[in-house]
Amino acid sequence: MPVIKVKLDRLSQLVETVSTEDLIDLLFRLKVEAEVVQDKEEGLDYVEMEVNPDRPDMFVGEGVARAVRGLIGAELGYKRPPVIESDVRVVAERVPQRPYIAVAVVNNVNVDDDFMRELIQFQEKLDETLGRRRRRVAIGLHDYDKVAELAEGEVVVRYANRPVEEVSFEPLPIEREGGGRIESGGEVRASELLAMVAREASPEYKAYASLALRDGEHPFLLVGDKIISMPPLINSAYTKVEPGTSHVLVDVTGTDPIAVHKVLDIIVSNLAERPGAIVGSVRVSAPGQEEVHPRLETVSMDLAVAEVERVLGVRLEADEVESLLLRARYQAEALKAELIEVEVPPFRVDVLGTVDLIEDIAMMYGYDKLEPRYAPPPGIRGSISLETRLARKVRVLSIGLGFTEVLQLVLTDPDTLEALGVAGEAVRVANAKQREYSILRPTLAATLLRVLAASQHAEKPVKVFEVGEVVRFTGDGVEEDLRLGLAILDVEVGFEDVQAPLYALLRALGVGFSVRAFKSPMFLEGRAAVLSIGWVGDFAWLGEVNPRALEDLGIRYPVALAEVSLRRLAEAMAGERGGS
Amino acid sequence: MPGRDLVSLSEGEYEVLKRMAERGFRKGSLEEASRLLGLPPATLASIFELLASKGLVKVETREKRAYRLTERGARELEGFLPEEEAIRILSERGGSAPLEDLDAIMGSERLAAAIRFLKGRGLAEVREEGDRKILALRVPVERALMEAGRARRVLESIAKGEDPRDEEELRDLLRRGLVRKEDHREKWIAATADPASVLKVAVVSVSKLTADMIASGAWRRASLKPYNVEAEPPRIYPAMLHFLQEFIEELRDIMREMGFREVQGPLVELELFNFDLLFQAQDHPAREVHDTLRPDLPPADLAGGLEELASRAKSVHERGWANVKYEWRSEVAARRVLRSQMTSVSARILSGVALGGQPRPPIRFFSLGRVFRRESIDSRHLPEFHQLDGIEGWEGYTFRDLLGTLAEIGERLGLRLIFKPAYFPFTEPSVEGYARLPNGSLMELFGAGLFRPEVLEMAGIDYPVGAWGMGVERLAAAYYGVSDIRELYERDVTKLRERRVKV
Repeated sequence: MPVIKVKLDRLSQLVETVSTEDLIDLLFRLKVEAEVVQDKEEGLDYVEMEVNPDRPDMFVGEGVARAVRGLIGAELGYKRPPVIESDVRVVAERVPQRPYIAVAVVNNVNVDDDFMRELIQFQEKLDETLGRRRRRVAIGLHDYDKVAELAEGEVVVRYANRPVEEVSFEPLPIEREGGGRIESGGEVRASELLAMVAREASPEYKAYASLALRDGEHPFLLVGDKIISMPPLINSAYTKVEPGTSHVLVDVTGTDPIAVHKVLDIIVSNLAERPGAIVGSVRVSAPGQEEVHPRLETVSMDLAVAEVERVLGVRLEADEVESLLLRARYQAEALKAELIEVEVPPFRVDVLGTVDLIEDIAMMYGYDKLEPRYAPPPGIRGSISLETRLARKVRVLSIGLGFTEVLQLVLTDPDTLEALGVAGEAVRVANAKQREYSILRPTLAATLLRVLAASQHAEKPVKVFEVGEVVRFTGDGVEEDLRLGLAILDVEVGFEDVQAPLYALLRALGVGFSVRAFKSPMFLEGRAAVLSIGWVGDFAWLGEVNPRALEDLGIRYPVALAEVSLRRLAEAMAGERGGS
Repeated sequence: MPGRDLVSLSEGEYEVLKRMAERGFRKGSLEEASRLLGLPPATLASIFELLASKGLVKVETREKRAYRLTERGARELEGFLPEEEAIRILSERGGSAPLEDLDAIMGSERLAAAIRFLKGRGLAEVREEGDRKILALRVPVERALMEAGRARRVLESIAKGEDPRDEEELRDLLRRGLVRKEDHREKWIAATADPASVLKVAVVSVSKLTADMIASGAWRRASLKPYNVEAEPPRIYPAMLHFLQEFIEELRDIMREMGFREVQGPLVELELFNFDLLFQAQDHPAREVHDTLRPDLPPADLAGGLEELASRAKSVHERGWANVKYEWRSEVAARRVLRSQMTSVSARILSGVALGGQPRPPIRFFSLGRVFRRESIDSRHLPEFHQLDGIEGWEGYTFRDLLGTLAEIGERLGLRLIFKPAYFPFTEPSVEGYARLPNGSLMELFGAGLFRPEVLEMAGIDYPVGAWGMGVERLAAAYYGVSDIRELYERDVTKLRERRVKV
């Protein structure tokens, strides 16, 4: 979940006339989990907000405030911000690896220290979510005046591939691996910059540097012969946005045309919330195509009032629905008694259909006012699965036989499996975070023995059992099983000590079976057996654990152990029931 | 013994008195008692002391003179005494024999002893005949043998442990060195009350009631010694069910009671069910490698009956997500993950894979099992935990019905819920149910919502379906007052043994 921080003063000012307590509560109702935190260095309060990833329009204070003002009814609906034609023109050459670009100018953004920080945060959160870590979309923000200065006259921004060996510019600082920033300290050749990134930059920047480089060429944004950006890696220092910047030029480049123009819409819509802001459109000429950005197009939807009732279970009149939609910052009009025409603002990328409008209606109405109704239709009978029922019986029998229940994770430690000689039948996790939990246990012996290793100081005998899943790799697939494991550790313990309770348990379940000797690296030879049932096959294994394995696991007492496949047992019992 | 108080006896005391009554022992030495009562003297000695302390017998220590055969005495008793041998030889020779001959047969020492005896008792005399001395009987042989037999009888009675009565003969034997005197002390026991009468008023005090006592009726006379009931017994531990598993089973019972049917699904899951059918775009950040655990296994084959589902997923996904189009690939859907949410089982149910056909409304299903996340273990996180998922739906089912079900589950858990809007890729409207814990804090209990139309379309369901998921461990931790979630998977059995059971 993206977390954004906005200065409490700033947010309160944007929202107007709401106490901090109310603000937190209002945010809660907008799916935003918020708390006030104090920055220790500055001694200032910030609101830390967990915003849902499907609401990128709320990754900045202005977007949050727009939603809150709607909820409290201070401002309703959606109006397209004023747009004038800017004097910027974009010429896009063929850039096959990232073909799409959209640009806009927003005048009178008037960047100050606070907004500067939030802009950076806004851009980062968009990168992480809609931008797919810049794979899909990358954003560049520029000081429009600095861009214009470079151009001297009509501002033509060129988007083109250039050989990295041939072009130089002064990049903005780049995050260094392990903290700090890489400062180029002046102009540097693009190829050298890439080498520097490969050497010293943070993993994120290393990844960005690899996204668009093809055959020694990389996309750039140029004004004249000056490079203002090397998307998706870094902007140049020439056009840096900083406190004091009045007008902002936004470029969005990427691999998906809709994502590119939607991200531009989201940024522009929020910058346009700044007091006095005016949006300047930009014409983009690509080979065989002319486009004007930002589009800021709304999507029209017809919402039947009956559908609201059908989904929420609450009867609302058309005018109520209309007013709730306006508070949710949609443009809405009740055309007839039963139908509302809705305009979805361009920044609402999460709205796919009417059901999304209905959720917003419910939010504005208040989830607390939606009365829960519990009236399930009669005749639905509940049940517990056969496997669970069998597991329950087996657990009670095990307790009766004096075994204490333990519960362990399926994820376990490969060393334990090696010690037992069963690592070969286990499924490994390719991307585990901790080695200790990087393989799925193919037998309950793995976790039971780890329990015994941690319990050998306990008063003896230590008798434990577990009912849990195991996962085995069978060569051509995966076999999952629910098993019962019984284990005994004592100063002296033998085959019969576990055989007797196992047989008692199986007798109690009315299971008949045949027995034969079993060979396995886990057990002592000649002191292990496998049980089987005619049509099901082998279903239980028992024996004295090999002292070599015990030694490897640091267990200083003998252990006898049994394991039963409950899935096969259930199969056998179901078969028997069916047969009789 | 009318009017006599009850006598409290130990089991041993009771047994001895019983045998005394049965076998008629009233007084005698300890050795005699041992022989008669059939109990070892050491055991009897201590029991008689105890009976004496209760005034039921008298025990005296007596000095007792006893006689034993000397080695020679024993040897002579085996064969003939010297006088016997001499009488026999004399009788064979007609009443007399030269001393030379006797000496040659008996040896001079034995002959001397024989002569001393026979002369002393006037049974024979030594005469001179010519130049030889002869020994000659003065009385008939029978008379001589009878006199000699006195000594033998005394020896025999000593050998049997009896007191010899022939004092005169005994003195002689002592002098002759065939018998020696041995003085020792012995216990002398005498009943001071009639054992049979004592038994009638006896109560036997025992430490344990035994099956024998019940079978024989002896418990009637038994008095069980009181214990020090305030003393600590030895500490033992019950075999116990695991508290987290018990909590899980309670949740299952709640679901069953409410009318939900349990369904299970695999831990190693296809992305198709874990993500695609739940409308999570294939390039969605949640599907990236750092959130979901992936088994080191080749992808599955969707051709085995999942083609139709895959093609429906493709058409819905490619229609657009977040207004961004992408190419949906079945290779991605065929990859395997360790399921990250139990909703994957719900996807199996709705798409007809779990139950061999699509469920017809009204439906209510639940699944409770393990899910996996790419987390490091700490006091609040586990890479694997349990989730309870439920789905329900019927014609006319609404968001309010979903809230009602959540509130009902909350109520059965003893929790009042607060609902808050939320975001999940596969539900709309979405909701989170929070519960106020006893410590006042709010805990997220449910993530829920109505399945999006896109999800239902992919599954091929044409009625509304509500879904919810609940993490089990965090709730269990709150319920059991566990502050470190790792305690739920404790390996040290001593900690499990000492756990308090919650009712």
